[in-house]
Amino acid sequence: MSMGYPEENGREAGENRSTLRTLRLPELPRLLREPPQFLRRGPLREGAFPSKLHDPRVASLLGIWLGVAFGVCFLTGLVSHFMQHPPSGLDWPSRPVWLYRVTQGLHVATGLASVPLLLAKLWTVYPRLWEWPPIRSVTHALERLTIVPLIAGALFQLATGIANIAQWYRFRFFFTVTHYWVAWITIGALLVHIAAKLAVVRANVGASRGDRAHLTDRHSTPEPAGEGLSRRGLGLAVGAAAGVITLTTAGQFAPGLARLDLLAPRRPDIGPQRLPVNRTAAAARVLTVARDPGYQLEVVGPRPFTLSLAELRAFGPHTSRLPITCVEGWSADATWHGARLRDLLDAADIPHGATVRVESLETRGGYRASEVAPPHARDPLTLLATGLNGADLDLDHGYPARLIAPNRPGVLQTKWVHRVVML
Amino acid sequence: MKATPAVTVVRGLLAAAGLAVLGYGLHGLLTMTRATHPPQAARWLIGGILIHDLVAFPVTAALGLLLTRYVRAPYRAVVQGALLVSATVALASLPLWRGYGGSPDNPTVNPLPYGRNLAIVLGAVWAAAAAVIAVRARASRRSPVPAPVPGSAPVPEPTPVPAPRPHAGTGPDPGSGADPDADHALDPDH
Repeated sequence: MSMGYPEENGREAGENRSTLRTLRLPELPRLLREPPQFLRRGPLREGAFPSKLHDPRVASLLGIWLGVAFGVCFLTGLVSHFMQHPPSGLDWPSRPVWLYRVTQGLHVATGLASVPLLLAKLWTVYPRLWEWPPIRSVTHALERLTIVPLIAGALFQLATGIANIAQWYRFRFFFTVTHYWVAWITIGALLVHIAAKLAVVRANVGASRGDRAHLTDRHSTPEPAGEGLSRRGLGLAVGAAAGVITLTTAGQFAPGLARLDLLAPRRPDIGPQRLPVNRTAAAARVLTVARDPGYQLEVVGPRPFTLSLAELRAFGPHTSRLPITCVEGWSADATWHGARLRDLLDAADIPHGATVRVESLETRGGYRASEVAPPHARDPLTLLATGLNGADLDLDHGYPARLIAPNRPGVLQTKWVHRVVML
Repeated sequence: MKATPAVTVVRGLLAAAGLAVLGYGLHGLLTMTRATHPPQAARWLIGGILIHDLVAFPVTAALGLLLTRYVRAPYRAVVQGALLVSATVALASLPLWRGYGGSPDNPTVNPLPYGRNLAIVLGAVWAAAAAVIAVRARASRRSPVPAPVPGSAPVPEPTPVPAPRPHAGTGPDPGSGADPDADHALDPDH
């Protein structure tokens, strides 16, 4: 059985000869270029990693899949970020109704499916951590350096994401902000990595890869006959793992898969009135004030008015079938009853182009109020809901009234609403 | 060994763009310190790498070595694959079946019996693995010479050129499977 890849361990300069017009240096001290042989021990030994799965072609193929997965995670994450923090002058559309459910469901599902991909990919390239000599040139050193934020960022994003959807907070940093900035770090490092490895990938992937073999000296060796998992077997196992993870978790946002939802942190039909809750009335500290019989909804505009709960219920009742779509990736369909927001705004003479702020009875917290821009405020499906699935709204779902609008993250579907203010 | 100039330019631009994006992220992480808590974030970032490189990989390699000793050839690949699936499924749902997270006042977070569910899922995975093993066993019994399943020969082939040195240290290195007849010891199964 062949042992490792001579071109990987050899004295010649490896792939960097072809990358980015390498600075190959007299400047680099001789000691670095040819380190003393007695240091080559343990994992630095030649042929220390004999698995046939440490192969540039396997690494390239897994890398492509992982790159696609991380790209999807990054883009869907950006969608969620900008939906919650819209740049000025850019209004997020209220249709299609299912858009955020798909992007955020995909974000979490792709992240979860990346677990086997990332670990398998790291397995295939692990010997490169111990390559000899450790530094061949300045570009080689820089390229190795950018691997650190890439791997650290990738592991960090998956670990914190998995912890966050389970609402397991063992870290002291604020999840959303940190996850967001580390996403930029990871994607930046990934772009550098793609630039550095383009030649190796092109020479090892594709039907005409043979024609591009000259691009690098890192080539896939013929697979030795062995008794363990073959390269194809590794691919199958990684695919199977990603498939099992997706099938047993995607039910938390995909209708029709709920019965297979065995390992997701949410089940769309478990909760008061068969709907999950993210923030309870107790956690929001509104238990007393929300049950106050003297509750009044105040609509502030050119012609302000107030409504009691009974009056609000009687105010042009409508029914909308809309999902709650949570940033944590779960979504659940529900039937909501209540007054159309746009009817309330019209009654207060609030103009069509106005943005309104919907305020909760909560006295504190980052999500105690949310802004509703015209696309959502004027959408006929948007309600100030007082009922859910044929009954009065549960306290944990926002009794006496909550906002429910299409294509909008759950955190912005403000609960325990008592004021609507024109901005 | 020469790439075309166009490709070189594209790669240069890609690398420059990547560095800019990386810098943007780093700047954001280090500016919004009240939210990102840089020392904590750094601990988790570096911790992830160290745990992978110094614990997860060596443990997986050691497990691979054990498999070469205790699981016969035609079935080893199936066991490795099933282990890979099991370990990653368990990792992706770790907080759930460990009972971490959630909040006592909100029973709709992590509401399922996850220990039982993980057992069901892994049971299905291993049932599938057992079926594959049964098929392989039948195939090898049918053919008089165990040809289709490679590796039934006691010695695979003479070790070619860059053989591991006989005195190679077996120290803490994850590659300690480089003992010549445990050659394909490190096939992964994580």
